Amino acid sequence: MGRYLIRRILYMLVVILVVSFITFSLMHAVPGGPFDKEKKLPAEIIANLEKRYHLDQPLWKQYLSYLNDVFVPQFASEGPKGLVVDDDFLINIKITNSFWIRWMNFGPTFTSRSRSVNDIFRQNLPISVQLGLMALMIAIVIGVPLGIISALKQNTVWDYLGMSVAIFGVSVPVIVLGPLMIWIFGVTLKWLPPTGWGSKPPYFLGVFPTNLSWDYWRTAIMPSVALGLGSSAILARLTRASLLQVIREDYIRTARAKGVKERMVITRHALKNSLIPVVTILGPMMAGLVTGTFVTELTFGIPGMGKYFVTSITNRDYPVIMGTILLYAVFLVIANLLVDIMYAYLDPRIRYD
Amino acid sequence: MRSKLLGLAGLLIVVSMILGACQPAAVPTPETIIQTVIVEGTPQVQIITATPAPVVAPEEMKAITINMGPGDIPTIDPSLGTDTSSIQVATETFVGLTRQDEVTNLVEPGMATEWSSVVNDDGTETITFKLRNDISWVNYNGTTVEQVMNCDGAPRIVNANDFYYGIIRTLQPATASQYAYVLGMSMAGAGDFNSGVTDDPTTVGAKVIDDFTIALTFVEQAAYNPAIAGMWIAYAEPSWLIDGDDCTEARGEKWTETGFFQGYGPYTLKEWVHDSTLTLIKNPFWPGTTNIPQPKIEEITWTMLDASPAMAEYEAGNLDTVAVPLADMDRVKADPVLSAEYVVAPNFCTYYYGFNTSAPVVDDVRVRRALSQAIDRQSLIDNVLKGGQEPAQWFSRPGLAGAPTMADHPDLGVKYDLEAAKAELQSYLDEKGKTAAELDITLMFNTSEGHRKIAEAIQQMWKDGLGLDVKLVNQEWAVYLDTIKGAATPQIYRLGWCLDYPDANNFIRENFGPNGSANPFTNGKPSGGVFYNNETFFAGLLEAAREQDPVKRVDLYAALEQTLVYDDAVIAPIYWYTRNTLTKPYLTRTFSTGGHEHIEKWDIDMAAKP
Amino acid sequence: MTKPVSLDSKEFGAGGKPISQKGESLLKDSIRRLARNRAAVVGGSIILILILTALFANLVAPYPFADQTLVDQNKVPQWVLNLFPTMQPYAKLSPNYFLGADYVGRDLFSRIVFGARVSLTVAFIGPLISLIIGVTYGSISGYFGGNLDNLMMRIVDVLYAFPSLLFIILLLAFFRSTFAQPEPGTFTYTMGQLDAATGGLLFIFIGIGLTAWETMARLTRGQVLSIREKEFVEAARTLGAKNGRIMFRHILPNVVGPLVVAETLAIPGYISTEAFLSFIGIGVNPPTPSWGSMISDGAQVIRTYPNQAVFPALALAITMFAFNFLGDGLRDALDPRLRGTQ
Repeated sequence: MGRYLIRRILYMLVVILVVSFITFSLMHAVPGGPFDKEKKLPAEIIANLEKRYHLDQPLWKQYLSYLNDVFVPQFASEGPKGLVVDDDFLINIKITNSFWIRWMNFGPTFTSRSRSVNDIFRQNLPISVQLGLMALMIAIVIGVPLGIISALKQNTVWDYLGMSVAIFGVSVPVIVLGPLMIWIFGVTLKWLPPTGWGSKPPYFLGVFPTNLSWDYWRTAIMPSVALGLGSSAILARLTRASLLQVIREDYIRTARAKGVKERMVITRHALKNSLIPVVTILGPMMAGLVTGTFVTELTFGIPGMGKYFVTSITNRDYPVIMGTILLYAVFLVIANLLVDIMYAYLDPRIRYD
Repeated sequence: MRSKLLGLAGLLIVVSMILGACQPAAVPTPETIIQTVIVEGTPQVQIITATPAPVVAPEEMKAITINMGPGDIPTIDPSLGTDTSSIQVATETFVGLTRQDEVTNLVEPGMATEWSSVVNDDGTETITFKLRNDISWVNYNGTTVEQVMNCDGAPRIVNANDFYYGIIRTLQPATASQYAYVLGMSMAGAGDFNSGVTDDPTTVGAKVIDDFTIALTFVEQAAYNPAIAGMWIAYAEPSWLIDGDDCTEARGEKWTETGFFQGYGPYTLKEWVHDSTLTLIKNPFWPGTTNIPQPKIEEITWTMLDASPAMAEYEAGNLDTVAVPLADMDRVKADPVLSAEYVVAPNFCTYYYGFNTSAPVVDDVRVRRALSQAIDRQSLIDNVLKGGQEPAQWFSRPGLAGAPTMADHPDLGVKYDLEAAKAELQSYLDEKGKTAAELDITLMFNTSEGHRKIAEAIQQMWKDGLGLDVKLVNQEWAVYLDTIKGAATPQIYRLGWCLDYPDANNFIRENFGPNGSANPFTNGKPSGGVFYNNETFFAGLLEAAREQDPVKRVDLYAALEQTLVYDDAVIAPIYWYTRNTLTKPYLTRTFSTGGHEHIEKWDIDMAAKP
Repeated sequence: MTKPVSLDSKEFGAGGKPISQKGESLLKDSIRRLARNRAAVVGGSIILILILTALFANLVAPYPFADQTLVDQNKVPQWVLNLFPTMQPYAKLSPNYFLGADYVGRDLFSRIVFGARVSLTVAFIGPLISLIIGVTYGSISGYFGGNLDNLMMRIVDVLYAFPSLLFIILLLAFFRSTFAQPEPGTFTYTMGQLDAATGGLLFIFIGIGLTAWETMARLTRGQVLSIREKEFVEAARTLGAKNGRIMFRHILPNVVGPLVVAETLAIPGYISTEAFLSFIGIGVNPPTPSWGSMISDGAQVIRTYPNQAVFPALALAITMFAFNFLGDGLRDALDPRLRGTQ
């Protein structure tokens, strides 16, 4: 297991490097630059800007120095001064007064002059993670029971009803659901604030809100439901399909034949095994929820990470494109690794040597 | 059983937290609090009666919340601002040498109380500005706004050196300011310094005469020079804060962040939660001048919401004024409450379609004129735009210095005239021996809901009126800009222009003059955009810029506009912008035409506020 | 446990059984069982009707999809007004439009009918592309195993690490700009024209196709891996069956069930991807209607003219219902372990 893990982690690094290379090539292959404006800027101004962000260097050099900034830990005699935004490292470790290890400089963003990509990660990512977690929670709470009911009452009214609810959830997009919820609960009934998010930096452990009052929860309800509903439908269908499959397995038949009570068969044997695929999808689903928040954030005015995923491409904000894609890739790769490990624990037939 | 108890206890803790949070702050009353205590490992629920400490209600403070539009404000550093939201904040936290009235766009005293102009022998113009000596730098320290002290413990007073520092910092190549080009084009020596030809800042035409006198030299004498001197890129900036000094820690590019920021305008920065809100607080040390009064509103909060969530917040009572989204226009106009709060104000921008005059079909002026005349601008405004926009007959928005007005020139430029359009097109078709349906024309716009609606409507007008099948193509913004400023500029493309300074020169010459924004030149030849090369027109632009007599100047511009939109029909002007705003009745305000509000002139009637 | 097991895929343990019992063909049996599933039949019929509507859209729709009548914009018929009484103060009436007219006066109903073309194409072509690439790739990888398998799966891993939506946006920007060539005759020009002719759909397909097949490939590989070791495959091999025959006759039929389910699960995803792309403005070219673009247009005016969002969303929801029920039915029908049941 240990060797397997080390191999997987080394292999993860390779994947991330390849991803960074493809992204870098692709984004520079798309025409248009970060400083193209409706009002055309004179060449001298563009030259100043390109020099400021080192865009005047050959592409291979830009790529190598990016890799160096992000992946290679730097040893320095003093900590970061924070005078210029591109001198910002995500990890700063002070060994002695005159020896520092600094790591992961994701560079400046072209769209803000006082913030770095790391600042965006620090300030906006936690909100997306909070939102994603809550949406996941809602997806599980709604989706799994719905799937179980449907499977146990297969081809009855309950099954059709349950699946209809699930499909409805996935087919009403946030684009429609969001404004409707705002209209009903925010403007007409005034139960919940129409927009906004109840937490702001600094965050507990870098992720969690420090203020957990009702003011925080009430801002979170509508966006989490809007975001989580689609995923709950996926979970419901998956649970149903998986449970149906398990019920037909030989060992269930054996258990029944042995005279085990139906209730026991379901709870002890069927449910546990049928949740394996459900559990394994949660990792990727969480990653998808955290990064798939663009529409939800725009609709509910949430200062999360989602919009940077989309607008960075439109703005040709190269460091943000690179940073967000790498970040997401790390998420996904870790999620996949966790799935595999979890799989091994849940399914005794699989062993990694 | 044990676990159930713990669960119940947990639930009660949550309930009590919620109760605590919901507690109204005004009057302290005895209340029942459900508390969970753990006695020797067993959770017990206790009900106690307690009277919370009296809470002093915050004094009714005049504060407003406005929406800025989606996305973080890119910067509030005056040297770096390029967009409306950045400049809006800088306008309130700093004051330029001169200041434009937000409604009339006339140049008024700002930090300079008076200025005098001298035309030098080489044709340059030197303007000497006399500064106020009673304005100090301020900073919000987390609780109050305080004066910034120098190393001797005396307040730092805004002086000519701060302005000099601001101008030079904007021009430094390392600052990489985008709007530096405005100074670069207009101030003597500024262009060379900015492009690195020389690294000697003394070659720039800016000179500190004494602590409260600064002289700026401009490359040519022009009516708009004092307006340029008042632009955000020429504001005073705190050198000690940015670069550091004996008693101040250097903050570099981060000097505009919460806590660090120093300014001197009517407001100063209280808090900037990136991507979420930016709050300004009244600067009590701003003495108030004739045209820049002391603010009545204590705090301004800008949210960063998309248009329709902002509308929802306004209706929920959380925003005090909001831009009306097009989607809600019909509803707003029919609603008895909202329609009373609805105001249409002019906005100094022009929306137009440009023609690539070197591309097939539209290289013939008759086709261009026909296309332009076949656009029923009023119908477009009534049915698609709905915001009371004005049909544009020419390019420079009326209200700008030098620009013709509809009152004086009702028939100038181009208007909807389907018969004339048909005749123009027919004469072209007869000559080429083609039918209208055979013409291959493409209209390109950048991907956006609004531009698409306009394009679809105009496409239909051309189809119904002229029988033309015009193809619509859209490109994503950055790609689009590359396309329309290069050799592959499509036959028809859309663009808009908003003012930087209130003069026709900023519109017509900076766009369609040689190497203008919409008429880029390479090696002295048009190489993109409208591909326009008319020497007489170019000469006329120069003449009009230099003309000192305002009446003659308007006539000159009127003739130039006629050439641009009718004789040569290089562009089809479509509409002049307006701003559609809802404002709560308790808020007294002005409506800026340039896009940057002067909120120090606003007031709230607290009695009328719910 | 010594047999190779998928490390990455979420396999559904498939129990193997001898394929043929009564000599009835697999297909016949599947169809028979599908026909007995009422929900699936209803779903299938709805899809059939939708396909016919899409094919004969110009006969069904009362107006061409791009015809605007500006003065009729946002008009609604009486029954729609009764349905959404909030529109009372400002809505203008017109009986000419069955579901109302949109913001430039185009018939909503006609656009929904024509929009079925785009959305159904997305619903069919998207999965088809990913099925074809994914199944081919996955079965080769899983069947031959060894170093080839290793290499092929590493490539999939890299693609898997890309955030698909972002990747599509980037790809679309790249394609649309690269293929916007002015000179005719070149390959890029032809591609650009093809994309324009399909209303921008071509590149959307390529984008979706390039990002969606990896899941299929992994799933297929996992299934093939576990099935190729089963007794009946061994038996076929011992009897001298060739690789191709084993693949198509013995392995693929056992694999296809979970894949079809996975694809029908994914169809809503494809449609909503198209809707999302339309929402951020890089979907189909105007005036080509798609339900996604209609919903995102309608969502803007949802408070003012709810009908413009609700009806396209309803069309989308019905389609999703149909696909889901049909998908479940297919899964049951295609599962060889259920043969002879029901």
